[in-house]
Amino acid sequence: MSRMEKIRIDDLSFAYGKRTILNRVEARFMENTITAITGPSGQGKSSFLMVLNRLWETIPGAHVTGRVNIRFDGEFRDIHHRSMPLTRLRRTVGMVFQTPNPLPMSVAGNVAFPLKLAGTGKRKNTEERVEKALSRVHLWDEVKDRLKDDARKLSGGQQQRLCMARALVFEPEILLLDEPASSLDAKAAAGIEDLMLELKNTCTLIVVSHSMDQVRRTADRVLTLESGELHGCESS
Amino acid sequence: MSRRWIERGFTVFAFAAAGILMAVTMVLTGYLVMKGWNSLGLELVFGTTRPMDALCLRRPVLDGLFPAVAGTFALVALSVSIALPLGIGTGIFMSEFASGALKRMFSLFYDILAGSPSIVVGLFGFSISIFLHRYVSGQLYPCLLISALSLAFLVLPYLIRSTQTALENLPPEVRLTALALGASPVQNLFYVLIPRSLPGILSGVVLSIGRCAEDTAVIMLTGVAASAGLPRSVFGNYEALPFHIYTVSSQYMDSAELATGYGASILLFGVTSSLFLFSFIIKNIATARTAVSGPGL
Repeated sequence: MSRMEKIRIDDLSFAYGKRTILNRVEARFMENTITAITGPSGQGKSSFLMVLNRLWETIPGAHVTGRVNIRFDGEFRDIHHRSMPLTRLRRTVGMVFQTPNPLPMSVAGNVAFPLKLAGTGKRKNTEERVEKALSRVHLWDEVKDRLKDDARKLSGGQQQRLCMARALVFEPEILLLDEPASSLDAKAAAGIEDLMLELKNTCTLIVVSHSMDQVRRTADRVLTLESGELHGCESS
Repeated sequence: MSRRWIERGFTVFAFAAAGILMAVTMVLTGYLVMKGWNSLGLELVFGTTRPMDALCLRRPVLDGLFPAVAGTFALVALSVSIALPLGIGTGIFMSEFASGALKRMFSLFYDILAGSPSIVVGLFGFSISIFLHRYVSGQLYPCLLISALSLAFLVLPYLIRSTQTALENLPPEVRLTALALGASPVQNLFYVLIPRSLPGILSGVVLSIGRCAEDTAVIMLTGVAASAGLPRSVFGNYEALPFHIYTVSSQYMDSAELATGYGASILLFGVTSSLFLFSFIIKNIATARTAVSGPGL
C-alpha cells in the first residue's frame, strides 16, 4: 500500500542559548507509520518532538529556523506560519510524555479536559467522547466504575494509557510519544506497544525510545539523532 | 576533628535549634497565659455591657476590648482584600510574563519593599492621609482605609513571592501538560498552574494575615485610636488589639491594668489563631477540590 507523506521537515535547526540541538535536519514522515527516534541521552530527541507541535516555544531562549510542513486536509501547511492556529496544531499533533502526568482531577475529568479547554461538547457528547477515547486505549472496562475517582490513584500503566486517551480525545492525526513505556513495568510496557500498533491505523506516530527491543517490535522506521543530525533506516 | 564528629555535632545543633524554638514558644505562651489568665473573661471583652447587647450593636462597649477585637478583624479583612488581588496578580506576572532585565528590576523593588521597616510604611501612609486631607477633601484624616492600604503594601512582598515561588516550582511536565493539549497560556494558568500552586499561594495569605493582625507601627500613624469604639466606616478611626496592648504596657497605672494588657495579648493570639484556622480550612478545601474534581465530568 502506498502511503502519503504526512510531515516534511526541511533545513530545520533548533537551538537554545548557544547550544545547537538540531542542525539543518531534513526528514519525511509517512502517514500511518511508526517512526522511532533513538540516540544517546541529551541529544535533543524530546526537543525534536517539541518542535513538531511548537511546544519548543515554551523553552526560554530557544529558537527554530527552517520549515516543518504538516499535511492537513490534503494540503501541506507550515506549522510556524502565522496563519496556523496553535491550538488547532496541538489538537492535531497530540503528545504523551515520558512520565504519566494525569492532572489532579478525576479519571473522566482528565480525558474531558481538552474538550473543556476547547469549550466544545454538550455533557452527553463529552461522555461519549470520553468513553470512546478510553475504549481506544483499552482502559474503559477497567475504569468505567471509577470515572469520578482521582486519576492519580490508577496504576502507572493505567495512568499512561489515560494520558494517551486524553491526547486521543480530539482524534489527532499525529501522535508524539516521548519514551511512553520507560517508567512502566514489562507488562504495562507491552500493553503500550500493542496500543501503538493499533493506533498506527489512524495516526502517524513518532516515538522517542531507548529500548531497541521496543523499536524492533513496533517501528516501521528508525531514525537516530546524534550531534544535531538525524540519520535514518527502515526497520527490520 | 573527624568527619563523623562534625556530622554528629551538626545533628545535635539541628535538634537543639528546633528544641530551643519550641521551648521559647512554650515559655512565651505560658508566661502570657499565667499573667493574663485571671483577667480573661467576658468582662475583659464586653466590660459592663451585656454581651448580647454588644454583639447586636444595641449598646456600645466603653470599658472592654470588643471594639478592638472588631477593629482588628476589620483591619485584617480589609488589608488582605486589598493585598490579595494585587499580590497574586503581581506574582503571576513575575512568574509567567516577566523576564530578563524587567524581572530583575521588579524583583529589586519587591525586595526593597519587603525590607522596609513598618514604621516607614506607616509614615508613608500618614503622608498620604495628609496629602488627601489637603488636596482631595478636608474631611479625610488617618482612618481604617489608610491603615489597610499601608498594611496591604507591607504584606504585598509575602504574597508576591509566595505566588511566584509556588508557580515557578511547578515541574516542567505540569507546565507542558495542558499546553500540549491545546490550552492557551491563560487557560494553562487558570486550569492547571494556579490550582496546582494554591497550597503555596495560600501559605503566603496565612503569613499576610498574621502580619496584618500584629503590626502596631503602621496603624499608630495611620488611624488607630485608643477609644474610637466600633469601626463604623472605612473613613473613620478604629481600635485594634496590638495598639491597646502597646498603650496599656507603656502607660499602665497599676498591676490590674497591666493584667488586662496580658489578657488582650491572649485575645490577640485567639484572633490570629482563628484567622489562621479559617485560612487553613480554605487552603485544605481548595487543595482537596483541586486534587479530585477539577474541570470536566
